[in-house]
This record gives sequence, structure tokens and C-alpha cells, in this order.
Amino acid sequence: MRNRLKEEIVISGVGCSRFGDLLETPGLKGLSLQEVTANAVREALDDAGLSGQDLDAVYVGNAMVHSSQLPGTYSQLSKWIGAELKSGVHFDAQCSTTNVGAALAAMSIASGVYDTVLVVGFETTRTKVKGFSPYEREALQHKETWLWTDMAVNQAYGVPQGYDIFSTYNGLVALGYCRKYGLSIEDYDKGMFELCRTRRLHGSMNPKANIQQTMEDKASELGFSSSYEMWQSDEVNPFVAWPSRLMSLVTIADGASAMVLTRADIARANKSQPVQLKGFGISYRDLPWYDEDPTLWDFDRRSATQAMEMADIKATDINYLHTHDCSHISGICTAEMIGYLPSGKGLAAARDGELRYDGKRPMSTHGGRHAFGHAWAASAGSDTYEAVLQMRGMAGKRQIPKRPEISVIHTHGYAMIGTTIVLGGV
Amino acid sequence: MDTTVTSTSQSAIELYYKGLEEGKLKARRCKDCGEHTFPPTGCCAHCGGWSLDWVDLSGKGTLLFATHNISPACHPRFEPIAPYVYGHICLDEGIIVQAIVQGVKATPEDLNQLFQRGQTPVEADILRMDDLPVLAFRIIR
Ligand SMILES: [Zn+2]
Repeated sequence: MRNRLKEEIVISGVGCSRFGDLLETPGLKGLSLQEVTANAVREALDDAGLSGQDLDAVYVGNAMVHSSQLPGTYSQLSKWIGAELKSGVHFDAQCSTTNVGAALAAMSIASGVYDTVLVVGFETTRTKVKGFSPYEREALQHKETWLWTDMAVNQAYGVPQGYDIFSTYNGLVALGYCRKYGLSIEDYDKGMFELCRTRRLHGSMNPKANIQQTMEDKASELGFSSSYEMWQSDEVNPFVAWPSRLMSLVTIADGASAMVLTRADIARANKSQPVQLKGFGISYRDLPWYDEDPTLWDFDRRSATQAMEMADIKATDINYLHTHDCSHISGICTAEMIGYLPSGKGLAAARDGELRYDGKRPMSTHGGRHAFGHAWAASAGSDTYEAVLQMRGMAGKRQIPKRPEISVIHTHGYAMIGTTIVLGGV
Repeated sequence: MDTTVTSTSQSAIELYYKGLEEGKLKARRCKDCGEHTFPPTGCCAHCGGWSLDWVDLSGKGTLLFATHNISPACHPRFEPIAPYVYGHICLDEGIIVQAIVQGVKATPEDLNQLFQRGQTPVEADILRMDDLPVLAFRIIR
């Protein structure tokens, strides 16, 4: 593997919907999935100063077709985004979809075939098509969401024999982390509280986040004397995979994201400041995702190493990092593996406020999977969207004081595809 | 180029679950590199070779960590027993598996006790769900 792009590739436009629920969240409620997705595409095309007719290809991703009921999306979306008669494909890399799409787009442009490619991801994990209605939706039940989502996990042996995302992704990783670094369960719990508090603070400053309520506001709303008292409450925040609690997990969402990739030399004529896609790395593994040590995920190490080698950067060059935090403890393990946080010190960094937008090691300033929310195939694009806003100095109240020059985004596509991309200034 | 139609007519997946019904852990061992592939497929997970023998594993191993799962369970098959204890196990053959652990209560107290105790020997104890036998383990006291 030569692991090099033959040409400089940029992201010249980004778009993202609010994440939430198509039945109730303002900004989503009342719209069809086609329209929510088209709005994210419109934002990305406007940002790049292009129309759908300027594109050469459209790569559209959606993981859970059971709830969207929109396979063959390239054609089903084409009239909604003004991009008929283009090249297109419907693909998935589950929750890494949009950033894997960025890598595929970069390769197809650097190969000399296309100039400009649109990558789109959309997902409905909260709602599904109601009956046979072309526009009405109804709530998805918890059981349906996981039964359908887990179809991306080993269907021969894993799921049939009791695999559970919360155990494998949270509880076992947490115990491995505590054992490896001699952390007490109590200190682990406090660290996870601080991490969640930071993510919710970020969500409260992001008008597109699913949850925009801080931990403190939620605690006082529910009548707790402190937010830590709420954190330890079995009713509000039960253990879902001991010692991991409910609020250390993903919040499911409906949503869409989009980005335009093009050659650096033609992006200069575009509308907004382009951001270079300097590198990417992709590596997958079937269950079990780790060997004896639950904190060490080799496919993540490979994906990060490939991306950082392609971009020719070191961990000390990174100014902003998002790691997939569907499981908060797994996200910390990845940040430590990349070298953005010292090994075993991730939760202490959260406690000391270092992971805040105004801290020394800012992470997941959009709110991450817990506060921003998680719409499987759209989520990686929402992470890239946030990084681009931060790098342009357009992140509003949650803007990192010194604009990041190098951003790294890591995502996990179920189950599991580790994907890392490196963004830099042009 | 080998264009012959394979003569095997039973799925490795079916053979595995039929094996569990008889209390056996069916695995493959590679004729090229000697490594185990478990649960079984038609290809060596280590070297990509296609020449494999069937072997039975001992069913003995070490429980490294144990947590629990949510209730209701993610899969309808396990609703009757959720919440259950789920473990990270290294088999004596050096294979890592994750499976349900029987005989431990899915409470923070019992799980903490197990965590403080550290690595614990376990053996396979097949769990018979309504429609499928499932690989599970039990602590050897
Ligand atoms: Zn082999």
C-alpha cells in the first residue's frame, strides 16, 4: 500500500441538519427524510458555491434501510438536490459512512477521474415509515432500533449468542481501563460524570445538537441538589453495563450531513475557505474487537497510523480531536492511543476541564454522540462539519479560542470499522 | 484455477450449533499455520488458508472481566433472561471469546466482587434458549 494521495484534495463545503427526532424536534419536525437530507446538501453546496449540476458524482450512505426505506438513494434523492444524470452509489460503512465516503471521494478525485464529489449520509434511528405512507412517520421502538442496528454485527455467532453493544463497548472496556491504570470504580464514575458534563456543555452551545441542556440544568429541573447526585441516581442514570451508566452512552437521533470534496486548485474559486483532507485511514475487525486488553483496539491503531502517516503529522500536531464516543470510555481509549491524551490520564483531563472547547485538549466540541446525538450514517459527517467550523473560526459560542490548524476525526462504523481522517489548512 | 463445485453440503454455522446441542465446542484448525478459528468458518482467520480440520475445544478458560447487559435485551431471544452477566474470556487454547456467564447475579455488588477477585477459571456450560443452544460459561468455584 503506497498510502498517498496523488493530488491535494479539499473539503470545499459542509452541511448538517439538526440531530433529533423527525416527529418532535424543531427544525426536523414535519419534514420528510428526503427534505432533511436535501437541506443538509443545500447547505454544503451553498457553502462551496456550487449547485447539484456542478457535481461529477454523488456518494450517498445510509446504514439502517429498515427505517429509512430508501435504498438506491442516488436516484431517489437526485431531483431533491438537482443532481440527476451524475454518477452515484449508495454505500455504507455504518457509523463511519460519511468519512469513509470522504476517503472514497478523495481517491476518485486524486485518480484523475472526477473533479467534484458530493458525499451524503442520512439516518433515522428514532423514527420509521408509518405503514405505507410516503410522508408520515412513527416512533421506532428501542428493540427495533437495536435489532436492526445489530444486523451489522456478526450474525452467525455474536448476536445469536447474546452479544450486547453496551457490555462489549462500555462495561468490559471500562473494567479493562480501571484494571490497567489502577483506577477505582468510584474514580472512574466521577471521571465519566465530568466527561458527560463537558459534552453536555458543548451541546448547550450548539443549536444543532440533540440535547442542548447542561447537566446542571437537568439536575435542577429534576430537583436534585447537585448534578453529581443526579449522575448517581438509579432512576435517571442507571448502570447499563456495570460500571458504565446510561449517560455515558450514545443518544440516538435522526439527521443528515453532507460535504463537497474537490481538487485544491479548483476550490480556490469557491465561496468559503476550503479545508484540506490531508490523510485518511480505514481498518476493520469482526468480533471480538479486542484481545486480552479491552482498551487496545488494533484496527483503530492501524486506521490512525495510516491517516497520520498519509498526512505526515505527529500526535503533538493535533489541535482538535474527535474520537467516536458512542461509548465515552472507548472514545477516551482512542484519544490516548492516538497520543492526544497521556495514557491512563483521559478522565483526569476531563475532570480538569482540558477537554472543554476552551481547554488545552479540546474534544468533541459539537457535543459528541451523547449531546449532539448519533444518526448512524450521518454522524461522521457531523464530526467533520464541526471540525471545519472550528478551523474556519465559525463555531460560535463554543469556538476554540485558537483556531485549530490540524484536526483529527476518528469514527467507529459498526462493527467495527475504524476510520480516521486528518484535516488541515490549505 | 479451481472451478469445481465444493462437495460440502452442511454449513459450518449449523455444525457449530448442532455441536453445542451435544455439549461440544466445534472449531477449525488450519492445516497450513496450525491456528484455531473459533467460532468456525470455512477460512483460517489467521493466514487466510482454506484447508481446515474440525476439532473440539476444551471449553475451559479464564474469565478476564465481567459486566452486565441492559433489560430489555437488544435481541428478543434473550428477553427472558435479561439482565444477564456477559464476560470477556480467554480459552485455554488462547482464543478470546465473549459470552454469557451463568451463576453470577447482574448486580453492581456481585459484579464488583468479581472484579475485585480478578481473573477466574470458568468452563463452558451451554445455555438452552427456546430456539437455540448458546455458548455460555460458569465459574469453577
Ligand atoms: Zn492458517
